[in-house]
Amino acid sequence: MGLELRLAWRNVWRNARRTWLTVAATVFAVVLVVFFVAMAAGIHEKMIEDSVRVASGHVTLAGEGYFANRTLEQFVTLDAGLQHTLDAAPGVRGWAPRLVGFGLVSKETDAQGVAVLGVDPAREASVTTLARRVERGVFVSEDAPKGIVLGERLARNLGAELGDELLLYSEAYSLETAYDLFTVVGVMKLPEPSLDRSLALVTLADAQAFFVYGERVSEVALLADDADAADQVAAGLRGALPGAEAVEVQTWAELMPELVQFIILDDAGMYVLLVILVIVVAFGILNTILMSVLERTRELGVLLALGLRPGAVFRLVYLESLLLAGLGLAIGLATSIPLVLWFQAHPVELSNELAGAMELIGAEPVITWKLKPWNPLGSVLTILGVAALAALYPAVKASRGRPVDALRSL
Amino acid sequence: MAILEAHAVSKVYETRGVATRALDRVDLTLEEGEFTVLHGPSGCGKTTLLNLLGALDDPSEGRVTLDGRDLAECSAAERSELRLHKLGFVFQAYNLIPVFTARENVEFVMELQGVPSAERKARTDAILAEVGLAELAEKRPLEMSGGQQQRVAVARAIVGRPELVLADEPTANLDSATAGQLLDLMEELNREHGVTFLFSTHDPLVIGKARRRVRLRDGRVESDGPGA
Ligand SMILES: Nc1ncnc2c1ncn2[C@@H]1O[C@H](COP(=O)(O)OP(=O)(O)O)[C@@H](O)[C@H]1O
Ligand SMILES: [Mg+2]
Repeated sequence: MGLELRLAWRNVWRNARRTWLTVAATVFAVVLVVFFVAMAAGIHEKMIEDSVRVASGHVTLAGEGYFANRTLEQFVTLDAGLQHTLDAAPGVRGWAPRLVGFGLVSKETDAQGVAVLGVDPAREASVTTLARRVERGVFVSEDAPKGIVLGERLARNLGAELGDELLLYSEAYSLETAYDLFTVVGVMKLPEPSLDRSLALVTLADAQAFFVYGERVSEVALLADDADAADQVAAGLRGALPGAEAVEVQTWAELMPELVQFIILDDAGMYVLLVILVIVVAFGILNTILMSVLERTRELGVLLALGLRPGAVFRLVYLESLLLAGLGLAIGLATSIPLVLWFQAHPVELSNELAGAMELIGAEPVITWKLKPWNPLGSVLTILGVAALAALYPAVKASRGRPVDALRSL
Repeated sequence: MAILEAHAVSKVYETRGVATRALDRVDLTLEEGEFTVLHGPSGCGKTTLLNLLGALDDPSEGRVTLDGRDLAECSAAERSELRLHKLGFVFQAYNLIPVFTARENVEFVMELQGVPSAERKARTDAILAEVGLAELAEKRPLEMSGGQQQRVAVARAIVGRPELVLADEPTANLDSATAGQLLDLMEELNREHGVTFLFSTHDPLVIGKARRRVRLRDGRVESDGPGA
């Protein structure tokens, strides 16, 4: 083995220019693969993050049937026991209870249908970015009861300004008519137009009082370490909840299947390109190794004549190919990992025109990178696998050579 | 004691439907310690015979036995083992491993044989000194003259302590002075270490150095007898 490795290594450097060209192609491919896979991962993670942070967290806990019906009939009782379970749940970065109801809001003669979202301001900040989306005024707060924050389009449609009094009108959990006056304390800009047109935020306490809901909430939004950890958190939570409680736990992927679909399609498009890239690398390696084998027919015959076994000749050629690929991988990873880590720390903000387009579709105008362990790992395994495959033919050819044929051409 | 025996060995090459009978029922027995030349005009079958004797190729008819073992009954792996442990080769074109130094080329065979590294080094130093190349041990083949390369090849062929060294026209690429020196070296190794040599040539000068001369003509043994 030591001998074969030494011989293989020396052989790799016989035609240094050809070796460097092959290595360069591999490095190029590795860098592109790692960079673009990380970019896609970053963009997708950002999309998920943006979505869960205006919506319902990575994982959402709600009363049984809530996800299908979304009425006040389905609820979770946020008692001390549940609060304790949520605090103790592993992998949970934060959790926020919400009450979701529907109603009409009116200013003078104008009325609009709204989704009333009651939030615990302190807890909400640990899960969603709603508070940061306030453009004018302030976010709702326990210190200023009966304050309401409106989506920008909703405020415009109502002609509502900061300080205006609005009448909120709905049906309470008790089925009695619920109505009360709220003061506009803030206007927020939401990426999703339909939300921007309909969301009205109040404090959870105000919402519970308005809907006569007591300790109940509609849902609890939980934030996990990242999107990938959602399944684990959900499973942990399902296990930790007492069976008697009629609750449901869903992940962002279950709640937003269209987002999952989009990511899969987007990835598929990228992987087609990457596969083409990898095939190009495979042919580069095949070409280099095959040429070097054909050039050395005589020499390989001499090795066989001296008593090197055919299997050892096979291994020799194989090692040469793996060394070639390994060299490309080593340099490729040494280049791409720092590169991606740098971009991960320095997201790229998009220029104005692009930014506008992205904001239209509800995305923040930045490109982010995320290096997940399977990215470089997958690249390593793919390139090594491809090199192993590409070396097969030349290695078999070399080991099948007969010493006499090799020596004949004198 | 006979090391190698060829019984009625024939070799027919087929190229594009044309059959060439390169060897025709050749009998040859090599005894331990012999220093034998195989000579005859170009195309008489010397290389073909050496290839058959060295388990590098199969006869069309007849039988070759090495140490009593019929080569036809050996697997590819067993032939590798036989070549590694019992045979040494010297080729006309030297055929050293170009990426290895003289020392590494000589050590190569012993590494394959599994000789421990300290012993390998000692034997390499000794043999390189014996063939007069101690100074060139760290040079690669391309940095050496043809005669020097062929000396390394001879060192490589005998360092594994084979029973028989087969050399196909080892001097063909050398000038006559260098050829003579190489033959003297081989003869000395034969005398002092008892290495059995069978080498082919068509150079009368080289033929004159052999103790036994086998003459081939048109694929047959024309004469076989003691030399000068
Ligand atoms: N691979 C081969 N295919 C066809 N004919 C061959 C082959 N090798 C040798 N021959 C023929 O066999 C005969 C003997 O060749 P060879 O053994 O090389 O002779 P020598 O080594 O004495 O010059 C020649 O006629 C040669 O042309
Ligand atoms: Mg010949």
